[in-house]
Amino acid sequence: MTPVAVMVGANRIVPAAGIIHPLGSADLSPDDEKALRRRIVEQALQALRTEVARPTVFTRE
Amino acid sequence: MALRVVCYLNQFFGQLGGEEKAGVGPQVVDGAVGAARAVQQALGDAGTVVATVICGDNYAAEQAERAVAEMVPLVAAARPDLVVAGPAFLAGRYGVACGALCAAVQAQLEVPVVTGMHAENPGVELYRRQVHVVQTGAEATRMLDDVKRLVALGLKLARREAIGAPVAEGYFARGLTRNVVAGAVAADRAVAMLLDKLAARPFASEVPRPAFPHVPAPRLIKTLEGATIALVTDGGLVPRGNPDGIEALNATRYGAYSIEGKTGLDAAQYDNPHRGYDTTWVKQDPHRLVPVDVARELERSGAIGKLHETVYSTVGVATTLAHSARMGAEIAEKLRAAGVDAVILTST
Amino acid sequence: MRLELRWTDVDDLAAASATRLVGKRLEVDLQALGTLLATDARLTGIRLDLVHPGERCRIGRVFDVIAPRAKLDGGEDFPGVLGGVARAGDGRTLALAGVAVVATDQQTDSVGTLAVIDMAGPNAALSAFGRTHNLVISAWPSAGTARSDYLAAVRLAALRTAVDLARTARDTEPDRVEVFALPPSPRVPPEQAHLPRVAYVFQIHSHQRPTGLDEGILYGDPVRRMLPTVVHPNEVLDGAVLRGFMGRSVTTWATQNHPMIRALYAQHGRTLWFAGVVVTVAQATEPERVRSAFLTAGLVAQTLGADGAVFTKIGGGAPHVDMAQSASQCEALGVKTTVVVEDMSTDGSAEGMLLFDFPGVDAMVNVGSSQEPITLPAMDRVVGADDLAPKLLGETRATYGGLCGAIEQVGATRVMAEVR
Repeated sequence: MTPVAVMVGANRIVPAAGIIHPLGSADLSPDDEKALRRRIVEQALQALRTEVARPTVFTRE
Repeated sequence: MALRVVCYLNQFFGQLGGEEKAGVGPQVVDGAVGAARAVQQALGDAGTVVATVICGDNYAAEQAERAVAEMVPLVAAARPDLVVAGPAFLAGRYGVACGALCAAVQAQLEVPVVTGMHAENPGVELYRRQVHVVQTGAEATRMLDDVKRLVALGLKLARREAIGAPVAEGYFARGLTRNVVAGAVAADRAVAMLLDKLAARPFASEVPRPAFPHVPAPRLIKTLEGATIALVTDGGLVPRGNPDGIEALNATRYGAYSIEGKTGLDAAQYDNPHRGYDTTWVKQDPHRLVPVDVARELERSGAIGKLHETVYSTVGVATTLAHSARMGAEIAEKLRAAGVDAVILTST
Repeated sequence: MRLELRWTDVDDLAAASATRLVGKRLEVDLQALGTLLATDARLTGIRLDLVHPGERCRIGRVFDVIAPRAKLDGGEDFPGVLGGVARAGDGRTLALAGVAVVATDQQTDSVGTLAVIDMAGPNAALSAFGRTHNLVISAWPSAGTARSDYLAAVRLAALRTAVDLARTARDTEPDRVEVFALPPSPRVPPEQAHLPRVAYVFQIHSHQRPTGLDEGILYGDPVRRMLPTVVHPNEVLDGAVLRGFMGRSVTTWATQNHPMIRALYAQHGRTLWFAGVVVTVAQATEPERVRSAFLTAGLVAQTLGADGAVFTKIGGGAPHVDMAQSASQCEALGVKTTVVVEDMSTDGSAEGMLLFDFPGVDAMVNVGSSQEPITLPAMDRVVGADDLAPKLLGETRATYGGLCGAIEQVGATRVMAEVR
């Protein structure tokens, strides 16, 4: 949960797809679901490349 | 039955001398000496100061562990029912020594302890969570009044009586919570508090706001193409059979699971004991929690240098802050030792 | 809207050959009731037990507790779940005081998630259900009945029973009548226009556990796609909202006797103007949570025109944050808020009490720590949990959260965590 991550001081935060399946979605086709997962992981990598000074939420561009 | 009480004092209050005697090591005197006489006076018939342990401020501050290790047996030898340390007022070295000795006596001898000091004594912040620290003035001008409050709380502790709220008993809040029965139901208290807030009257929230320390953000020095990335989760991924016995809630354990040679996670080989959310969907496909499949693809395509071959996993629900911090530190240490540069932690 | 709760006091509960009220003694034809409940093909082996305050008895495997209620002049009982879908909250409703229907869950192996009720000893005083005469329903799932269907059937059996019991008061003069009347929210008489307008934001489910198809929560709707919705408080008091199947520290009984709605009614027209109720669901994804938070704030601040709002949560950690996020959005629109939280710490440290820290959300009431250990003393009899009887008969350890009715997250209870 994004607000909890911010509160405890995690510095690079990427909102994912929800509590019951953060990196997937049962509503999508297998291909679309994997594309969603890939997008979230790539965004996490992008966040790792970014310098931050405080808890930062990387929202979808 | 009169209680056996041991007092702890520094060189000054123990009447050994001033700063010139601050290097004196621990010693024990039979009965009450110096400020311990005030303790005896406050005790009246309820107890007897059977021994006074005295240690110089510098000795206690400069070799703290040794000083405590030497003093605990001196205390134990007097077979106390209660230990009263100080009061240390605003004297920093003395306050820290009082806290350290009390914490050690309580933990090792299981004897009730009480100490006292001024709010700004560094010993308060260091030890108030572990032991009862009674609030006193900054100086010894009202020594007997302060000592009476120490002794009153100490007697309750020694007699295993119920201890009231910090404000009522005069000790610094220990940061512990305990269920009590309030005078009104929560709904009535909530409406009353809202009316106070609306009218800009003072109100007392029943929950302190959390204060988490700032965590400096490390910078990834390598390029992603040269970096080793690890996957960590608090969402409860475990191999079938949960070999590490990770708890369904209140977890104290985590697991390290190899993904060597795997391009993905086979649902049949994994399980999930997490009791904080409906795990139906992540059991159907563990990649919904730990993205090994796409991480391997990114490794193969060269977008990341290497995917670390161990996934760390725990169950993050109702986990105590203490265990979370410990597990996080242990996992981080292992990852660093294995040469991991960055982590993607997936959380539910 | 005007709701009359017509209360009849019950001081004894006994098995008999007919279900009827004799003075203050409620007699129940257990055989006929069992036969009625057994018509649900999802259930098998119905067992009914009567337990009484002061009896050295422990009820185990407690799933939910229902207050006996029945509409007097037509209208639907528990609309959308037991009765047809129809609006609740208006007219006369029979209510029995001193008696409750306790539904047990005989299916789950995860018994740590189920609660107990003590009828005697120190824990009886902590729970409303230690002071009521209780009719305990135990029913087992018939072969092939899925978990959610089983729980739906168990709850339906309890609702049926609750209506059956309340109907015995049909021809009785009530001991007292409680009237809940609230005019349409904007119509404030001029002489009361100075009172602060206060709304209640009532979280009724958390999507960290998606609902079953038959898990009716709002008028029978499993609230899977529900957005924040304004309801009249009387609808909540009159059976429109039932607890879902995730029963952590909340009962349907507390919802039917909603303490926050009662507290606001009690002050209505005196120190505040009760502006209305917004029901919400704790969301499982970030966009849904953000959307729900600002929609809630919009309804509270602009539709209801509230100056202040009180909030309660359901479930565990995610709803805790969701509620605070909504409250924070209200504060941003100038609405003062108070939230009712659990102490979320699991090791008794004050640092762990909260999972959020939002600007303006600084007025908090707590309903205690459900994780704090409690001792269950030895009893003479265990009801509702034959399989656990060896353990539940003797002195055993539990937590406040495991004592049904000790902590009601809607604010019906007096247990609170004090920082020391």
